[in-house]
Amino acid sequence: MEKSIEDIWKEGFLKSDALVAPKINNLYTHKSIHIIDKFKRMFKINLIAIIAFSFVFLVVSYFVGIPIMGVMFFITLTVLVIINKRLLDSLKKIDKGVSSYEYLKGFNEWINQQVSINKRFATVMYPIIFLSVIIGFWHKDTEGIPLGDRLVGEVLKGFPDIYMVQDIPLIALIVVLLITGVLALLGGRIYQWDLNIVYGRIFKKLKELMADIEELKE
Amino acid sequence: MSTDFYTTSITPFSGIIIKLCRAYTNTQEDFEDYYQEVCLQIWRSKENFRAESEWSTWVYRIALNVCLTLLKKNKNSSELFASDSLLSEETEENHAFADESLNVLYDAIRKLSEIDRAVITLYLEENSYQEIADIIGTNSNNIGVRVKRIKTRLKKILDGKIN
Repeated sequence: MEKSIEDIWKEGFLKSDALVAPKINNLYTHKSIHIIDKFKRMFKINLIAIIAFSFVFLVVSYFVGIPIMGVMFFITLTVLVIINKRLLDSLKKIDKGVSSYEYLKGFNEWINQQVSINKRFATVMYPIIFLSVIIGFWHKDTEGIPLGDRLVGEVLKGFPDIYMVQDIPLIALIVVLLITGVLALLGGRIYQWDLNIVYGRIFKKLKELMADIEELKE
Repeated sequence: MSTDFYTTSITPFSGIIIKLCRAYTNTQEDFEDYYQEVCLQIWRSKENFRAESEWSTWVYRIALNVCLTLLKKNKNSSELFASDSLLSEETEENHAFADESLNVLYDAIRKLSEIDRAVITLYLEENSYQEIADIIGTNSNNIGVRVKRIKTRLKKILDGKIN
């Protein structure tokens, strides 16, 4: 007589080898490799996007009459890309042959180093970007006269007694210096905020994964 | 994951976890990945267990959700890389068990829809219609009809194969 589905099921699982559970080892191997590969991909794409943007902006800035801003952006972003390309190359040195935990730990140390270097760079980069916007527009040609000089002329019409330093109103210099100082102070935090927007989810996963493995080890 | 937690909270249900994972995987490697992921998710979700249902229902639910999620993920990645691999995966036969009839039955189960695979596995594990409905998150009235329909379909597939 033909066996019913229920009989096939019951009898099949009576055999001793049918229900051998796989060992819970290398639980995190795939996850660690996946998470780090994902980060590497995103990091690379990010660097390529910065290069592309700085090139496009350099060309556009020339045509809209703010080449100084374009050049300053280009130089600053190029330095940023070079620093991070070197960091990315050093990431390849992490030994993939070690355990998932050691691999993740190595990656975490790399992240900390990367964040620390970029935070320091950000304290210079954001003020430079701000100053390049100011200088760029200040020198923008408006019918033969730089935009900055035209603005100063307008201000002098309204406030003829205003105190000037090197043909620039002192108050404007103070405001620019103040903003530059604030950007230098907050540069690290702005970078961290920017970083969390782009890589926040990966960092969260990385932390969870490491916490899991640490608990597992205990 | 502590050994204690694994022994007391997962081992008693490892049989059904294995059976469910087998229904959704074609290779031993995939099966091991699915099983490990299910165990990991049970361990991670243990704090969320509210005792509104049985621990076993909770475990089966997690196992099913993990299997469905991984299946979807794998499907998407296979579709991305090559249409050929999907075809070969569908036709590949898995001989994980010593009992040949069980292998044939599993091949037939893998031809069912994603939810039907869970329904029949839980039914064959002698869960009541109400328990199956709780695990799947549906009405128990539908389960009886569905089981009958799945069994008829399985018989048709098996007849085609065995005869």
